[in-house]
Amino acid sequence: MAPTNLSAVVVDDHPAVRAGVAHWLGSGSPPIRVAASGDDVRVAWLGEGATADVVILDLHLGGPVPAIGDLRRLVRAGRRVVVYSMRSDDITALQCLELGALSFLTKAEGADHLLQATRAAADGRAYTPPSLAGALAGDRSDQRPSLTAREIEVLIEWFQSESKQLVAERLGISQSTVNSHLEHIRVKYAMRGREAPTKAMLVARAIQDGLVRLDDL
Amino acid sequence: MNEHRPTEDKVIATVRVALVFVVALTQPVLGLNTLLRHEYRPRALAVAAFVAVACVTAVSAMWVLRRRRLPGPVAITGTAVVLAASVAAIIATPAAEQFGSGDWAFGLLGWHLLLLLLDRAPILYAAMTVHFGVNIGYFLIGGPDRIDIGVAGTVVVGIGVVQLAAVVISRLLSRRARDAMALAAERDRLASRVLSAEQVERGQRTAFAGHLGATLSLLADLADGLLDPREPETRRWAALGATQLRRLFAENDDVPDPLVHEVSACVDVAERRGLDVSLAVSGTAVDLPAEVRRDLTGPVAAALAAAGKRARVSVLRTEEEVRVAVVSDAGEKAIAVNSPGVNVESGRYGDYTRMEARWRRQI
Repeated sequence: MAPTNLSAVVVDDHPAVRAGVAHWLGSGSPPIRVAASGDDVRVAWLGEGATADVVILDLHLGGPVPAIGDLRRLVRAGRRVVVYSMRSDDITALQCLELGALSFLTKAEGADHLLQATRAAADGRAYTPPSLAGALAGDRSDQRPSLTAREIEVLIEWFQSESKQLVAERLGISQSTVNSHLEHIRVKYAMRGREAPTKAMLVARAIQDGLVRLDDL
Repeated sequence: MNEHRPTEDKVIATVRVALVFVVALTQPVLGLNTLLRHEYRPRALAVAAFVAVACVTAVSAMWVLRRRRLPGPVAITGTAVVLAASVAAIIATPAAEQFGSGDWAFGLLGWHLLLLLLDRAPILYAAMTVHFGVNIGYFLIGGPDRIDIGVAGTVVVGIGVVQLAAVVISRLLSRRARDAMALAAERDRLASRVLSAEQVERGQRTAFAGHLGATLSLLADLADGLLDPREPETRRWAALGATQLRRLFAENDDVPDPLVHEVSACVDVAERRGLDVSLAVSGTAVDLPAEVRRDLTGPVAAALAAAGKRARVSVLRTEEEVRVAVVSDAGEKAIAVNSPGVNVESGRYGDYTRMEARWRRQI
């Protein structure tokens, strides 16, 4: 039930990355329209950018300090954010999830993951690419929800192989079960730590989909 | 300094044994002879002093002959007895006989003090000063004439110089022995360091040669024309050899994250031969011994050498475990080699070949 005519706003300080992302999103099926793009987070607040379904945000906008403040403000305003970062640093990835980003992708991860993450975000769902799965599997922070042994195995296998088909085959489950494990993990994360509209949305979707029951909360 | 202590004691102990014999012989032979031939008033006091110092000799011999250091209380009590005997002997000896032929005590008691306090120099010097001071003071109170003073001076200086020389020489000897011992120990330490450094180097050479093993025979076979570089199998061996060499070079680099550095080295070689490799790292650097890293990265090199076009290399680490995996499109699985610390698992799943090397911290 993904809405058609999806739109996204791309915030990145490299014109080539903006053009590349626009091309990837436009050539997806169904295509995702890039409503606005720019090297400053203002494009996500003004004009067409303000109403785009998904914000694709580069964390390192020309400076060494990650744009954590911008992410926080966007999420607080209820925007669905996919963080697209140059660096694959676990702590930053976990921090972005904690703030309410629906996905965290590294730029080494290709078009397919970006399309899936953007589509999922437009639908209010989380998407967990392999690098983020690695960060979640290695998470030993206090904020960490208790995951089942099976869920940890799914995270590790997905991180190692980048192939849900291989994960399913290795663990003897179907690919859709792999997906629901990944979603369930993200719901568990969403229920921990500080409140954010996107997190509430994530949990609500999970209840709707029958992934978690109201009693679990 | 403590380790040199026994040497110092060895010299002092030997000198002491000599002193015990000197005192044990001098007292009955010369001292007793003098005591019996001269008049003392009261005689009982002189005899008591004589017996008391004989007892001191006997008691201290119990430790000295076993080459043990005298316990503090024994040395101090002995010193007090000897000094008291010194005073008693002076009182009992007629003034005219002091430092003369009737004075059995002056020289003898000085040796007693040496025996008791040789390893306690400050107390020894103090006790000797008291002993000499009391004798000389008592002598001067008697109002001696110049001839008496001359005779007494000769005796005092003669005995004093010999006894002082004995102290100084034995202490000097013990210090020399200690220095020599320290020097010898330092030389031993240096020698053993050189030896262990040589051993480490030899070990490194053998290890290096061991790791080069397969590559050397490959190069030899290529040179001899036994292997054809056009054969895919030969190329695969060459790829493996190159990866292993590159990994070996990376092993000795001083970097903050050696494991990822070594895995990156393997990936680097694979990329050079046109493989599309994605490397993902999760978690922070864990301190691993070189052998464990070798056991973890060895299978990576083998798996990458076997891969055809694409490979995914991942490093996942927590404080408890490190998992290095290669998922590739290799047609056949690389040979998995388990080692005591690292468990290697390898298998084929559809189009994929998966290898995982896993290390767990021993609790």
